[in-house]
Amino acid sequence: MENSNELVQNMTLELRRGVIVLSVLSQLSKEQYGYSLLKSLSDQGLEVDQGTLYPLLRRLESQGLVASDWRIEGEARPRRYYVISQQGREVLAQLKTEWSAIVKTTNKMLF
Amino acid sequence: MNLIDRYVREVGKHLPAKSREDIEKELKSTLEDMLEDRIEQSGRPRDEAMEIELLKEYGAPEKVAETYYPNQYLIGPRMFPMFKMILKIVGIVLSVMAIVGIMVGLGRVGFAGREFAQVLMQKVFDYAGAAITAFGNIVLVFAILERTISDSEIKGLKLNEEWDPAKLPDEEQPDTIKRGDLIAGVIFGFAGLVLLNFYPEIFGMPLNFNDDTNWYFIPVLSEAFFRFVPWINVVFLAQIGLDLYLIRQNAWSTVSRVAKILIEAAGLAITIMLLRIPNIIGFSPESFNNLPIQADDASRVMEILNYIFPFILVIVLIVQGIELAKAVYRFWKVNYKVK
Repeated sequence: MENSNELVQNMTLELRRGVIVLSVLSQLSKEQYGYSLLKSLSDQGLEVDQGTLYPLLRRLESQGLVASDWRIEGEARPRRYYVISQQGREVLAQLKTEWSAIVKTTNKMLF
Repeated sequence: MNLIDRYVREVGKHLPAKSREDIEKELKSTLEDMLEDRIEQSGRPRDEAMEIELLKEYGAPEKVAETYYPNQYLIGPRMFPMFKMILKIVGIVLSVMAIVGIMVGLGRVGFAGREFAQVLMQKVFDYAGAAITAFGNIVLVFAILERTISDSEIKGLKLNEEWDPAKLPDEEQPDTIKRGDLIAGVIFGFAGLVLLNFYPEIFGMPLNFNDDTNWYFIPVLSEAFFRFVPWINVVFLAQIGLDLYLIRQNAWSTVSRVAKILIEAAGLAITIMLLRIPNIIGFSPESFNNLPIQADDASRVMEILNYIFPFILVIVLIVQGIELAKAVYRFWKVNYKVK
């Protein structure tokens, strides 16, 4: 049987997994390349594994919520820049509303 | 080639070819960004130890490649209930066949002694082999369906889906397809193709004689029958193709109804031609030359088979005739019947 720490760890991971899409979309109103997005999320307190972020960005792009573009700036190496699409903005707006409702309801139950 | 390039190439080996180049390019760019960041933070120059540390943290190439794949399974959760149901049906049919076959086999040798054990073992192995083959074929068909049917098309297959009684159709929907029937059709059609083309020896007759412990297997169908196999294959493939098309389209149309009529007519035509072949049974009294059987018994077995096979074909003919009539009636009903 798993001990409480392991259970809490796994459940926390599940909770975080649910908010990653919301967080990533929220950070792409200005374009960012993968590593800068990773750092931006980390700076705000959300540690996301690279193995989660890059496949997620590809999925969001295939769903049309994010657009990407390879670019070379100055003498730097080529980087893939991601930005939220129009559809992504609409989805984000709806997700924000859903999120507020979930937080409100859950807080009411918890506290 | 530096460590980063070697690492990226190793990850690429485990990626799907379609997106490999793109993912490799982005992975390299990310690793270089991370390395640059570390150089800045540590104030150390770039060296191999730093690359090793970074790559170790990033993870084993196979693990990294794995994250780019969606859930990998042969038969996913959406198809699994249907897969289980078909497996149960085939399992029941095979079990009944096995029990009957074992009882018939044991009835010939008695229910005790060495022969009993031999026949029992042989039958159990035979049916275990048949069960494994059937299981393999069903898995193969479902694995193909899993990859060819989209989520929206699969909705009708959800066995536990909640339903709304208010949405029950108030009149008969002539274009509605029955997905379960179609999937079963694909599976049995595929199994038929496999048996006919890869295990033709299954169409035979095992013989055992009272005073002999050996079993003799005589192929029943002649070369004349097997000359029709390419045509039978065409009909089977056309039927499987039509079933898959209907699963995708989710409804009957004029084109698919006409195709159904043509396929049923072709099947019927083949059965009629088979009935007209005089030497469809593949053995003659000479086939018994090496068997411990009297000439009288041989001719009796021949006589029985010469009646049984046309009888089976006539039953097939009747079933096909009914199916053809149903297909023509449905076509007429939808297209010409005055409403």
